[in-house]
Amino acid sequence: MRKFYKYISISTAVCTLLLLGSCTSSEKVDFSTQIKPILNNKCITCHGGIKKNAGFSLLFEDEALGDTESGRPAIIPGDASGSELIRRLHEDDPELRMPYEKPKLSEKEIDLLTRWIDQGAKWGEHWAYSLPEKVEVPVFTQEAGFASSSSADFIKNGVDNFVAARLESEQLEPNPPAEKSTIARRVALDLTGLPPNEDLFTAFSSGNLSYENLVDSLLSKDTYGEKWASWWLDMARYSDTKGYEKDMGRSIHEYRDWVIRSLNKDMPYDQFTIEQLAGDLLPEPSVDQLIATAFHRNTMNNDEGGTDDEEYRVASVIDRVNTTFEVWQSTTIGCVQCHSHPYDPFKHKEYYNLMAFFDNTRDEDMPSEAPVLKFYSPEQQQKVDKINAWVSENGSEKTAGQYQDFLLYNEPVYNSHHLKDIQNGSYDDHASTVFWDDGSARFENVSMEGATALYFKHSSGINGTTLTFRKNNSAGEILAQTKINKTEGSIIRKIPFKKVNEKFDLYIETNNNGVAKEVNILNLYWVALLDDIPAKERNGYSKINKTLVEVLNASTPTVPIMIENPEHMKRTTQVFERGSWLTKTDTVEPNTPKTLNEWNADWPKNRLGLTQWIVSKRNPLTARTLVNRVWHQIFGRGLVSTIEDIGSQSEPPSHPALLDWMALRFMNEHNWSIKSLAKEIVMSGTYRQNSENSPELYQKDPNNELYARGPRIRLSAEQIRDQALAVSGLLSSKMYGPGVMPPQPEGIWQTVYSNAKWVESEGEDRYRRAVYTYMKRTSPYPSFMSFDGGSREVCSIRRTVTNTPLQALVTLNDPVYLEASHELAKAMQVSENPEENITLGYEKATYTKITPAKLEALKELYENSLAEFKSDQAAAEPFFHLQKKPSAELAALTIVANAIMNLDEFLTKA
Amino acid sequence: MDNLEGLIQEYLQREAQSKTRRHFIKNCAQGMGGLALSSIFMGCDPLESPKKKASMTFSERDLNPLATLAPPFSPKVKSVIYLHMAGAPSQLEMFDHKPELLKLDGQDCPQSLLEGKKFAFIKGTPKLLGPQAEFKQEGESGNWVSNFMPHFKKVVDDVAFLKAVHTDQFNHGPAQLFMHTGSARLGRPSIGAWATYGLGSENQNLPGFVVLTSGGNTPDAGKSVWGSGFLPSVYQGVQCRSKGDPVLYLEDPDGVSRNLKKSTIDAINKINKEEYAKYADPEILARINQYEMAYRMQIAVPEVMNINDEPENIKQMYGVKPGEESFANNCLLARKLVEDGVRFVQLFDWGWDTHGNIREGSVDLGLRNKCREIDRPITALILDLKQRGLLDDTLIVWGGEFGRTPMQENRGNKKMAYKGRDHHGDAFTMWMAGGGIKKGASHGKTDDIGFSGIEGRVSVHDVHATILHLLGFNHEQFTYQFQGRPFRLTDVEGEVIKEILA
Repeated sequence: MRKFYKYISISTAVCTLLLLGSCTSSEKVDFSTQIKPILNNKCITCHGGIKKNAGFSLLFEDEALGDTESGRPAIIPGDASGSELIRRLHEDDPELRMPYEKPKLSEKEIDLLTRWIDQGAKWGEHWAYSLPEKVEVPVFTQEAGFASSSSADFIKNGVDNFVAARLESEQLEPNPPAEKSTIARRVALDLTGLPPNEDLFTAFSSGNLSYENLVDSLLSKDTYGEKWASWWLDMARYSDTKGYEKDMGRSIHEYRDWVIRSLNKDMPYDQFTIEQLAGDLLPEPSVDQLIATAFHRNTMNNDEGGTDDEEYRVASVIDRVNTTFEVWQSTTIGCVQCHSHPYDPFKHKEYYNLMAFFDNTRDEDMPSEAPVLKFYSPEQQQKVDKINAWVSENGSEKTAGQYQDFLLYNEPVYNSHHLKDIQNGSYDDHASTVFWDDGSARFENVSMEGATALYFKHSSGINGTTLTFRKNNSAGEILAQTKINKTEGSIIRKIPFKKVNEKFDLYIETNNNGVAKEVNILNLYWVALLDDIPAKERNGYSKINKTLVEVLNASTPTVPIMIENPEHMKRTTQVFERGSWLTKTDTVEPNTPKTLNEWNADWPKNRLGLTQWIVSKRNPLTARTLVNRVWHQIFGRGLVSTIEDIGSQSEPPSHPALLDWMALRFMNEHNWSIKSLAKEIVMSGTYRQNSENSPELYQKDPNNELYARGPRIRLSAEQIRDQALAVSGLLSSKMYGPGVMPPQPEGIWQTVYSNAKWVESEGEDRYRRAVYTYMKRTSPYPSFMSFDGGSREVCSIRRTVTNTPLQALVTLNDPVYLEASHELAKAMQVSENPEENITLGYEKATYTKITPAKLEALKELYENSLAEFKSDQAAAEPFFHLQKKPSAELAALTIVANAIMNLDEFLTKA
Repeated sequence: MDNLEGLIQEYLQREAQSKTRRHFIKNCAQGMGGLALSSIFMGCDPLESPKKKASMTFSERDLNPLATLAPPFSPKVKSVIYLHMAGAPSQLEMFDHKPELLKLDGQDCPQSLLEGKKFAFIKGTPKLLGPQAEFKQEGESGNWVSNFMPHFKKVVDDVAFLKAVHTDQFNHGPAQLFMHTGSARLGRPSIGAWATYGLGSENQNLPGFVVLTSGGNTPDAGKSVWGSGFLPSVYQGVQCRSKGDPVLYLEDPDGVSRNLKKSTIDAINKINKEEYAKYADPEILARINQYEMAYRMQIAVPEVMNINDEPENIKQMYGVKPGEESFANNCLLARKLVEDGVRFVQLFDWGWDTHGNIREGSVDLGLRNKCREIDRPITALILDLKQRGLLDDTLIVWGGEFGRTPMQENRGNKKMAYKGRDHHGDAFTMWMAGGGIKKGASHGKTDDIGFSGIEGRVSVHDVHATILHLLGFNHEQFTYQFQGRPFRLTDVEGEVIKEILA
């Protein structure tokens, strides 16, 4: 085979990365590529993060070179023959030989380890934990060296140079470009999740629109954001329910819509990151920036009877740490929760340093999902504005800030699950504390800097209870007192409060002489202490006061958000021994793992600072992670194939230099624009190849990791539904809003203790894009599950694509697909000649010209169907779910359309 | 019920004469002329074809992810029927005989037991509650069974009890997840998914892992208790339902005959073969295979799920209620499914949460009724499998997600309307029966009031290790690589419970 291009030069740095071991002309042993794999595979199970047998661990440099239990180090740099490690590898006594009870290391391995120690046992860093500053693009001269003319066309942009270099070294040639119709369908599905619309397709096919213009026009469509939102929402574990046993509904679709909007306006990825992880900590955050923080309110919320709210709050915090690292760093930090990482250089304590960043938000696993951002109606908003205007006009900045926050999201409050020493009453599982006559309880260590108003949420079924708030205990000074009467539902009230300047215990008591023992006279949900609204003496105070209480009690749509604890509510974070939240040890401060980029002293030590650390250009994993995953979305495989893990246990990248080059470009040239990144990928010659395969090529590269052919992958659950609706003309273009409920079989939802029902949507809501389908964690939409959609309970980085008979049953029999088939059939019925109709339907659905053999097969099906539908017996039966029976011809075409929608080429992006 | 054995004999004789029907199903593609492509990829009748070793090439499994694999060690059983009483049954009224507790009925629970303990609902100092059932030693083993389970004594010598199982979860959702996935948090594969991933299915016309529910609700933890976690979703449990399509979208649409469906699949596969010629992508072959399987499944599933055609005496023996959703129906279905080679059958019966807040949820009245619903079917299931020679190839596991307190619940610091017990994870009873199980064994012992295990305590991980052992796996070596590390059902714990192995 002749070389089809000549590969001239790459920098040495790239060479080391690209060719790994084969570039070592000198005898120097490389730790990261030659030693670390041996340690990881052969030693670290017993001498690593979990076990440190004989006091020896090979996970960190200081441990490996430090003293073992014997009192001496096992590795003496520069002296292999004096090192216990090497001696043990040669040992004949099976009790002493290492690896213990495992086969002896090979000569080559022992030789490498020996030379490495003799050369100074230099500890190296894994490639994943540092990012080069610059990567040179391999250069080619296009001298007369192409095997075929089609290969000459291959190189379209920098991506292809890297791919070509690898292809050349593997003696492979790229495929010719895909046909226009194929590439148009492929790129439309990749960028918008839908096949191209007719106008665009025609303009491109006829040559009136260039490929680049096609790509630009797809990127500018609203359907782009809907497609890529599905990808992001899997990672964000977005769901319309809370999860766990009760799995009650959750109003959080505003977050989903925020994702779609942000992707559509191509919000730079660093900003996209900051707003989701720390939008609330930005100076004067906008409503959108608060909505963005719902990213981490997608954690589950346990309303099950008898569960400890603190346990599930901690579970959510842990989930946030793990998810942040899975989503942005391709790192399974979850392992470190119980012990130092078995393979990657992260220490046990570092997990809790990270947890400390997330441990101080107001949410406490409350059934109300507090804190929630309130969306006021325009009339309500007018009132809110009036109150805020009054407070800022007459009061201090501090008071104004308090009321802005309190009206926006009702925090900070002391939730009643914190009440201690409850007498004559009890905590009423999850919502409120119940008081009886002579009841009492205490909030400990309350500090409200001189608050003069007390707000509390309560309900009661009985009149005439006296509710008293005292300082510290039953003998303490009365700080506030009021009468409690019957309420309709639960309400928020405001009463005057006597100023206390230091920390104190808020002691609460209830009295009602008119009731028997153990009768519930008050349910108390929470208490808040604020400055009173100012200017009591001014005209209009009482009106504003009344409006305030009215607005606080107004019911509004909401979305759960992240809000940081005020100083006086701050939690301290402690290390959990072996990961158990009940066994806490050392107190820790927020910090990031040593192995990764350094902390900049200018960053605040909170979530915002953590986020700045993540999107710092010095972070070695953020850009690589994103680039790798966008690549995976498009090619069905990451440059690092383990897209959830880039670290010492991940697969080595198929094209390391390409990954780094793209990561650097993504940050520096594309300025974190995901659209630019996606465009660069789909503009490449690598992407534009046809995806045809041969047994020889398949043998050589079954997973297409060399990219000698274009991607060919099954569509996602969402794409399969959306495409069926699109080609049949049923798809609604309506965007945003609460989750919709397209038809699903009866009896799918059987949730314990919840009256939630699947109420079939009407009108165009039945035909919305899949991303808007109501997502219930304990019972996701069944046809999505069949096509590998997840249940969104935890962060999911990758859906494993499977191929099962249950999928065939969905597209053959699910009424959604039957309806689509029937609609497509109606659109196919244009001629007396069934061949024309079939051809039209096939081409409309697959965007490819029908072959005679395929036409023959479909025609045979049509004729069989027609014969059957014309028979007397079949004529009498109902057809599909249709009220009115169609003609035999249309029924037969419907069967054909159903078959078309089940073809591999329809379900696959080729 | 006393003539149970007679009923089975009678049925078996009759069935021997009409065996051909089920044989057809097992012989899958052979009846399907044009659709016999599957024989290229796999033996048609897995029961007759030689077992493929676990080392089968990837591409073969790519074509059929449920292709049968032999486990690494010699297995004791081929199938598992796991009976889960969702809500957590009270061991103190069923199998854990505590005469001392009866004497202490109504007394305050000693403080020493309460210190450092967390309960779901119990507050302050609760009172002890004596057993609400009467116990007798039954069978040759002399194991204790309460009068709530009058039929069960007939099979008591076939089962091995675990009297001191413990769990660290005391809320239903997390405890059920722990019991079925080895983790109280979401995201891990269920036991059934592990088993199906490791072994494939013996019957390619039925799902490899079937879930049946009764009691009106799905389990508290939702479908994740039979989910596939990070394993490919093909290994998740398939819920077979009593109403509507037994498997979702199984039924052909109105007006589409079997013939027409066959023509449709013929046309699809013809075109897909042409597509394969162009793209040489083995995924296309897999799809062709799956469409054939779907077609066969449409016959096989309704067939196996239909209990109407079972003989009267069998229906009577189990106490089935055709057309309804019942635990008895599900037990009979479980037998039919394992008989047809389904790998893992998971039954969830909801309604065992006996707090004493309502009549149905009391440990005397409500629990007695729940026991009635399972006593006869479970007994029939064991006897039925035994008589058919299937019990030796099947493992039956019975249990809940935790047990119940020896104390009476006092939710909200008040006396409850009925006699009830709170959630309790320190000690509860499970049992196993079938292949590889020591018949009539009883392992573990609780203290005098049944609060804690004092001998032979076993964890949920131990139970899992034992199930995997019986299926032919070493639980420490049966792993799946995910997120850069090998994951196990038993995490980093678990020991096989040798004491109950034959």
